[in-house]
Amino acid sequence: MRKWTLALISATMVMGLAACGSSNDNKDQNTANTGNQAAGNTAAANEGDTANSGSTEPVKLRIYAQYADEDTKGPYDYAVAELKKAMPNVELELDVQAQDDGQKLKTYAATGNLPDIFQAGLDIINTFKKSNNILELDKYADDFKAKIQPSAMNTLVTDDGHIYAYPYAGNEVAMLFYNKDIFTANNVKVPTTYEEMMAAVTAFNAKGITPLALFAKEKWPTVALYDMFASRLEPAGITKLDKGEAKASDPAFKTAAEEIVKLVKAGLLPKGATNLNYDQAAALFHEGKAAMFLNGQWEIDASTKALGDKLGFMYVPAADAAAYESAKLTFSGGGGPGGYAVNPGTKDPELAAKVAAFISEKYAEFKFTQRGTPMVATKVDAPVINKFPPVMEQLSKDIPNMKTTAFSWGLSNPKFKAAIEDAAQSLMTGGYSPDDFVSDVDASISSK
Amino acid sequence: MRKYLGNKTAILLFILPALLLYTVVVFYPVIQVFYRSLFDWDGLSEAKFIFLDNYKRLFHDHIFYTSLYNSAVFAVIIAVVQITIGTLLAFAVAEVAMRGRKFVRITVFIPVVLSITVVCQLWLAMYNGEYGLINKLFEVFGLSYRQDWLTDKHTAIFALAAVNAWQYMGYHFALLLAGVKSIPESYMEAARIDGASKMKAHLRITMPMLGETYKFCLILAFTGGLNAFANMYIMTSGGPGTTTYTLTYMMFRSAFRVGEFGYGSASAAFLVIECLIVTLIINKLIARDPIVY
Repeated sequence: MRKWTLALISATMVMGLAACGSSNDNKDQNTANTGNQAAGNTAAANEGDTANSGSTEPVKLRIYAQYADEDTKGPYDYAVAELKKAMPNVELELDVQAQDDGQKLKTYAATGNLPDIFQAGLDIINTFKKSNNILELDKYADDFKAKIQPSAMNTLVTDDGHIYAYPYAGNEVAMLFYNKDIFTANNVKVPTTYEEMMAAVTAFNAKGITPLALFAKEKWPTVALYDMFASRLEPAGITKLDKGEAKASDPAFKTAAEEIVKLVKAGLLPKGATNLNYDQAAALFHEGKAAMFLNGQWEIDASTKALGDKLGFMYVPAADAAAYESAKLTFSGGGGPGGYAVNPGTKDPELAAKVAAFISEKYAEFKFTQRGTPMVATKVDAPVINKFPPVMEQLSKDIPNMKTTAFSWGLSNPKFKAAIEDAAQSLMTGGYSPDDFVSDVDASISSK
Repeated sequence: MRKYLGNKTAILLFILPALLLYTVVVFYPVIQVFYRSLFDWDGLSEAKFIFLDNYKRLFHDHIFYTSLYNSAVFAVIIAVVQITIGTLLAFAVAEVAMRGRKFVRITVFIPVVLSITVVCQLWLAMYNGEYGLINKLFEVFGLSYRQDWLTDKHTAIFALAAVNAWQYMGYHFALLLAGVKSIPESYMEAARIDGASKMKAHLRITMPMLGETYKFCLILAFTGGLNAFANMYIMTSGGPGTTTYTLTYMMFRSAFRVGEFGYGSASAAFLVIECLIVTLIINKLIARDPIVY
């Protein structure tokens, strides 16, 4: 009796192990192609017993991508679904991008663990280029080049004339949104000059309304605000500082700092602005407690949902009416090279480059058709599903004549970037003089 | 036994595993930091040897001086607050006649075991300029002293130090309490017979006898303060601007935001030296032989 039980148990175990083994083999087969040497063996061993062996071998690629909120999950999921249709043999293994100034990615690079495809901004491109951690895509990029909008060429080709990443975002701009109702209800004119801006700030403060909601805990919006003011006097904005072609002590840049300090001291921003995150600042604007709001054009969607027809955007005020007219179509923003890049150590660079290009293209498609933003890198053939919100319609009319600075996502000198971010955030406290600003920023430029 | 203790080979043999481990995880990285600080290096590409240029640059960087000042403020505040309050509480709790001793002991220690992230989030809410508890308290008492605690460049570092001081007060309290309890009752009895008041007995007997414990607490508080990072990272991101930077934060900024690992290493190396000096000074100041009862 005991013998029989033993035999039965052993039999079950053997079968169980066999079952586990075969499912493991399938998994192996997928990972094998990313670089395992066992690839051939496992694939050969499994030949015939897997259902999914098509004409092309299944490939698994690791991708490092933003996947945090609606704005980033939507396009990613869409791109992956489309990829499944177009290249069923390619499977993407997502590694969620951390909000950490590229530290995780740099660590991956330093330890030789770089994903096959990763999202790279200009600073990553510049750093990785030197250490040969990014694949030059020139010879793979012909198809993509044909699809890119001529106006977005600057997001594809870097200063050295080479291509390192496939962009999807196009030239994005920072904008000053405002709540039309608050302005009319309080009888305040939408400002076109510094004086009118000051008058608006005083008027709103008297009524207990926050004039401008700014999420200054993140530093880029503070740089954007500064860049906006600087671009009224110097059309290239802080790009000139970034490239070392101008100094912060030049009148245009100093005046911008002075104007901002004056406005901040008059109560432009909510209390404790430098500790406000996006959610807190956006809530002020969406709930009608703040008259203006600064964010990129991607905010249009969320603000339209919250405010509907009350939402408007204004051109940045300038010194006087003439300056306002001549500078109004200069937007802070634009773009720099960046998007999906490929690891030079990937097993099949051609395939990885193809997938990276595909993902970028589908990102752009999703943003265009479903998010209602015309500001994408590539031309999109698909019909628009979500109609453009009115503010976007208005912005679209400006796009053909728009001039842009390069701003944050296009800044190339990391030392300058860190310095201007810190200095611009300090400006928002009101306790930092324009002179301090000038000397701090200039120090970072001269020590380039 | 004596034979073994006198055997140098045996001693070496027994120490070796620990020594190896210490060398690999502590000593080697420290040496690396000093070595790397002599290079212009972005962490990925080829490093360029520039000898002491990073240090020269450090001494001309105004962020460095802000960081030094902030570290000093931070260290002094937490040392004073934690040790003073820790001492008072330890004396109180050591008193058998005190009611609710257990309650105090537990509540004071709770923040120590909380995650620093939780504590920082809690205080972020309390410091909030619009609806924070602290400003509300002033309002309740009819004072118009409302502050942007974390966004005013003058108050921010103090506000951060207060959070750290509050959180780790219990740790020092526990150390000191253990110290107080280890002092034999007979000393206090003798003092009482001689007619000394409680206060006087603590001042003249307990505190001097806690010398070793104080030394340890001081070193801990000072080096902890000079090393401060998590509070700034979570609560202000070093802001507004660069006003709440410490050397550790500066190292983080240089290495990870700007991508200058060599320069970051230089500030880290400076921090190591600074902590060593402070430890030496404290050791000198409270130089005495351990008391054996």
